[in-house]
Amino acid sequence: MMVFLASLLGSFTTPMKIGTDPLSMLWLLPLVASIAVVYKATKVHSIRSWPFAKESAVLFGSIVVFIVVAAVILFGITWIVTEQLPALLDKSSF
Amino acid sequence: MAQPWKENHALFLISTGALAWLVPGGGHFALNERRRAVVIFVAIVLTFLIGLYVGSVGVVDPVHARPWYIAQMMNSPLVMLLGRIGATGDYRAFGRANEIGQIYTSIAGLLNLLCIVNAVYLAHLRSIKESQA
Repeated sequence: MMVFLASLLGSFTTPMKIGTDPLSMLWLLPLVASIAVVYKATKVHSIRSWPFAKESAVLFGSIVVFIVVAAVILFGITWIVTEQLPALLDKSSF
Repeated sequence: MAQPWKENHALFLISTGALAWLVPGGGHFALNERRRAVVIFVAIVLTFLIGLYVGSVGVVDPVHARPWYIAQMMNSPLVMLLGRIGATGDYRAFGRANEIGQIYTSIAGLLNLLCIVNAVYLAHLRSIKESQA
């Protein structure tokens, strides 16, 4: 029991190895789920399993969709500024 | 005559807020909102523990990451105990793991702040209802 407890506490003293690859963006999903659940817990009139799960899932989906849309827009702006704009400026008569 | 009610009312709100800060969901539990309290407790504690597991106890650092620490403190005053461990600098974390750990633990704290405000507001409404009845 003590060995288990010690190894459990020990696991909180070493950081995980997380790369900077696009896959690491998936770490936002549990956080969004938590935000959706807690926010809905403070907003709904009464907590009943199915309606609460449904409302939380809708909020979770909305947040994820909004993040994806924001990411696509930002990626588009970056692509225009870094890839398209220099080429246009080179060709201009100015 | 209104003074004792006002004093009791303020004390009730403060004790509800303090309970909600001491244990996530504690304020709602005291207001007999058991299911709400359990959902809040599980969600906030789980988020905080995931952050702590990902970034290690070093993400709670009152010396090198003070703004994050203020948000983390909203989880519970017990975070101060972790802060004392983090302040030693023995468990410092860097890179993406540190970022994710800090974001998780701080967001958990800010979510608990939302729950504290919500519990105090519910207590205020209940108190007014009871005084009118």
